[in-house]
Amino acid sequence: MAPDADAALMLAFQQGDEGAFRKLFERHARAMVGFCHHFVRDAARAEELAQDVFVNLYRASGHYRPSARFKTFLYRIASNHCLNELRRGEYAARAAEGRAGAEPADPDGLVSPAPTPEASAEGAALERAVGALLARLPEKQRAALVLCRLEGLSYEEIADVLETSVSAVKSLVHRATVTAAAVLAPFMPSALPKEVLP
Amino acid sequence: MRTKHPTDELTALVDGALPADRAAEVLRHVEACAACRIERDRLASAVAALRRLPPAPEPSPLFATRLAARLARLAPDERPRPARGFRLGAWGDLSSLRWKLAVPAAAAVLAAGIVVSAVRLHRAEEKAVAENLDLLLDYEAVSSLGDVNSADDAAVVALLDEIAPGEGTP
Repeated sequence: MAPDADAALMLAFQQGDEGAFRKLFERHARAMVGFCHHFVRDAARAEELAQDVFVNLYRASGHYRPSARFKTFLYRIASNHCLNELRRGEYAARAAEGRAGAEPADPDGLVSPAPTPEASAEGAALERAVGALLARLPEKQRAALVLCRLEGLSYEEIADVLETSVSAVKSLVHRATVTAAAVLAPFMPSALPKEVLP
Repeated sequence: MRTKHPTDELTALVDGALPADRAAEVLRHVEACAACRIERDRLASAVAALRRLPPAPEPSPLFATRLAARLARLAPDERPRPARGFRLGAWGDLSSLRWKLAVPAAAAVLAAGIVVSAVRLHRAEEKAVAENLDLLLDYEAVSSLGDVNSADDAAVVALLDEIAPGEGTP
């Protein structure tokens, strides 16, 4: 018996049921666009990347085995694709721009030009700060942070997606979170001086 | 003896990702060590800030259509092939039942033929959409403005890509 509903759909697709693939798409399209958006910070490009992910899933469906959770199989395809996209250098300039401006962001200084309610202005400022944070992180840390903090995967699932050990994931997530604490300090309730740290 | 601060494990502690016995040890240290407590709280605040991030944008309405068009454009060798191995094995094992199964099998083959024809027809439609996606998108964009009222208007939309910049303006 298939371990989860997605795995059952994937097995049905392997047997030639194209409707099962459509259901998988409907269940995961939004999450995939969001996931890709964390990597490229551009809505149109995120959609293109998410489409690539589903095309790759379609073509690679024969490699899926029900012993692997479908969610980690899909995120593995998506992570590899997004990391390859970053390696191709198309976003090198944007990443460099993010690194250059990686000091803790000032929420008051990042308000969008059009007047917006306070809450949405802070949301936009936080979004920009997270964009700068992600651009600053090495690619594996970025993938681990996105999978853990923004997609809600467990350390074990992330290890499966990134094809590494749980202890390596623990280290990646920790280093990325330490950087996040520095970059997002203005958005945290109490920023404390670093001199007191061990 | 000098105490080693479990700094590298504080994020896993915040995430509840340490084994129970190790979590208890780290927690005991954190409760006794102000520096580690401050760092734990700082990391927890960063995690909380990331949770407040607004959701990523919704996919556009044409997202599914574009994907369908791309899938329809795939070459036959890029398409997944339905697994059939188990069926061949099953036929070998069931040789003694061959005649009892002959009639339902023939009916199944006939039904499969009908399904294949329907799928081919569907594929032909998908292929047509894929090949004319740009035209379809142009038509959707122009018709959303309420400017396509006749067959002549539709013919103009079909030629949009061939019109040079500035052409047609007074």
